[in-house]
Amino acid sequence: MIVVAALLLAGAVVGSYPAYMMGMAMVNVVAAIGLNLLVGNSGQISLCHSSFMAIGAYSAALLAAYARVPFWVAIPCGTALAAGVGALLALPARRLGGIYLALATLGFLQIVQIALEEWSGVTGGVRGLKIPKPELWPGAVLTPFAVYGVVAAGCVLAVWTAHNLLHSRLGRELNALRLSPHAAQALGISLARIKLTAFALSAAYAGFAGGLFAQLVGFIDPNEFGISAAVRQLTFIVVGGMGSLAGSVLGAAVLSGLPELLRPVREYNDLVFAIALMAFMLFLPNGLVVLWRGALGRCLGRRAAVA
Amino acid sequence: MLGATIYLQLAIAGLAIGAVYALVALAIVIPYKASGVLNFGQGELATLGAYAALVLASFQVPYGVAFALVLLGGAVFGMLIERLLIRPIANAPAFTVVIATFAIGLAIKSAISVRWGDTVFSVEGPFGDAPLLFAGLRANPTSLWIVLCTVAVTVLLTLFFRYARTGKAMRAVALNPEAATLMGIRVHATYRWAWAISAAIGALAGLLVAPVVGVNPEIGQLIMRGLVAAVLGGFTSIAGAVVGGLAVGLIETFASIAVGSTFKNLVPFIVLLLLLALRPHGLFGAREVHRV
Repeated sequence: MIVVAALLLAGAVVGSYPAYMMGMAMVNVVAAIGLNLLVGNSGQISLCHSSFMAIGAYSAALLAAYARVPFWVAIPCGTALAAGVGALLALPARRLGGIYLALATLGFLQIVQIALEEWSGVTGGVRGLKIPKPELWPGAVLTPFAVYGVVAAGCVLAVWTAHNLLHSRLGRELNALRLSPHAAQALGISLARIKLTAFALSAAYAGFAGGLFAQLVGFIDPNEFGISAAVRQLTFIVVGGMGSLAGSVLGAAVLSGLPELLRPVREYNDLVFAIALMAFMLFLPNGLVVLWRGALGRCLGRRAAVA
Repeated sequence: MLGATIYLQLAIAGLAIGAVYALVALAIVIPYKASGVLNFGQGELATLGAYAALVLASFQVPYGVAFALVLLGGAVFGMLIERLLIRPIANAPAFTVVIATFAIGLAIKSAISVRWGDTVFSVEGPFGDAPLLFAGLRANPTSLWIVLCTVAVTVLLTLFFRYARTGKAMRAVALNPEAATLMGIRVHATYRWAWAISAAIGALAGLLVAPVVGVNPEIGQLIMRGLVAAVLGGFTSIAGAVVGGLAVGLIETFASIAVGSTFKNLVPFIVLLLLLALRPHGLFGAREVHRV
């Protein structure tokens, strides 16, 4: 609650455009948390995180547009749908590892992408989809600042749930899956079940992020959820720190601000991202969170041991 | 009778585009086989080849010279990537390597977008556009040239892996790097060769496809079809990659009549997911066995 209040205050102070950018950063944080659970903690490769975000965004948007469902129903519906599709994808994916998993998820991304573009009667196709202003109930439209508040609350909710999750039995099982699948299996952890859970959970966070994104932006098109978005989300967690919640938050927050700093040299955006990605891979493979930890000393040492 | 002609015509079109996919699949399979690294940036090497062709054409360089320069440039670029980016992270988890190769692709693509934008440039094929007529069938000379080049690359690669010293060394390293080292094979040198050959083939694919689709930053999308082809072929064999590429070209072309051109793009990826679910080692590949 305190954090939500602080974020609200910050949003109120900085004015509408910076608040919108902060909202955007928070959406990215939610997406990065989901991706990090799957990739960083359980060690599965995913190149289709943005597709689950698309599923969440489009289903929330379509529910609001056609059924006039209020946002607090539409977003959870989108989240649930994304989680369901994530679990479905996990059925074939849980038997694959390494590059084959990368390929399967890449294929899934392409399928979602083509479906969004070609099924234009419903999704609006490449021209995109305009989303009605979020309503608390039919007739009660939220102000932009209230939307920002919703996003802030959603982001804090995501961080809080992920924190609890990672310190639960499930969180330890996810890490065990990455560190040593064989040892995990020997300890009685069902790999199939835990992979399925990891995919569904990660997709749920992505779907949630997608729902928030749709409310915040008011307009979505398939381009927002393509392969470059998936790679950008991977950059968040690589730069922030794999398998660390603080890393997801840090990476997404820092890199969301980056395009703003680069505004004068806009066209170099992707190039900077790609080079940042390569540089971090080579020189700081554990991400920014390592520097953060160095500064905080032993404070976070316990979590470092887990990750 | 008319029906048969149409099907043959479609088959020609499918094989021509399939030949490009086959080249991309080969470029993916060779470094994977040698060093276990799947280069997701391979598509952008094709893009680079296409833009190199564009630039060389603007300097009035004859096609033959441009062809050789693109192959050579691709090879050098491949060696650089291997040395500067892949080797330092060779022992990192699979995920790191996947992302690093993605980053190469993204960097190339965005650099090209910065320089040339989204404009589609047209370049002329080496033999003009007049279709060749043959027994009531028509074929574009550029398509025939693509098929010819693919056949040549396949034959050369097969001979290379069977008879050349370096080729045999690469096979040995693929089987067992430690044993190969003990036998006096320089493992890093074989990786370098694998990347050089692969990048040259990738650049060649871009050069060949440029007159067909026009030079644009999205040529890299070829990698998606190349990957499907590689999976279809089982990821480990030269013949598999080529057959896989041709198969993807044919599937795509015939799918456009079966399900309409709108959803034909979906078909290769549905095939990919089905394959990965049912037969992850492909139709021709050897099963990879993991023992604890």
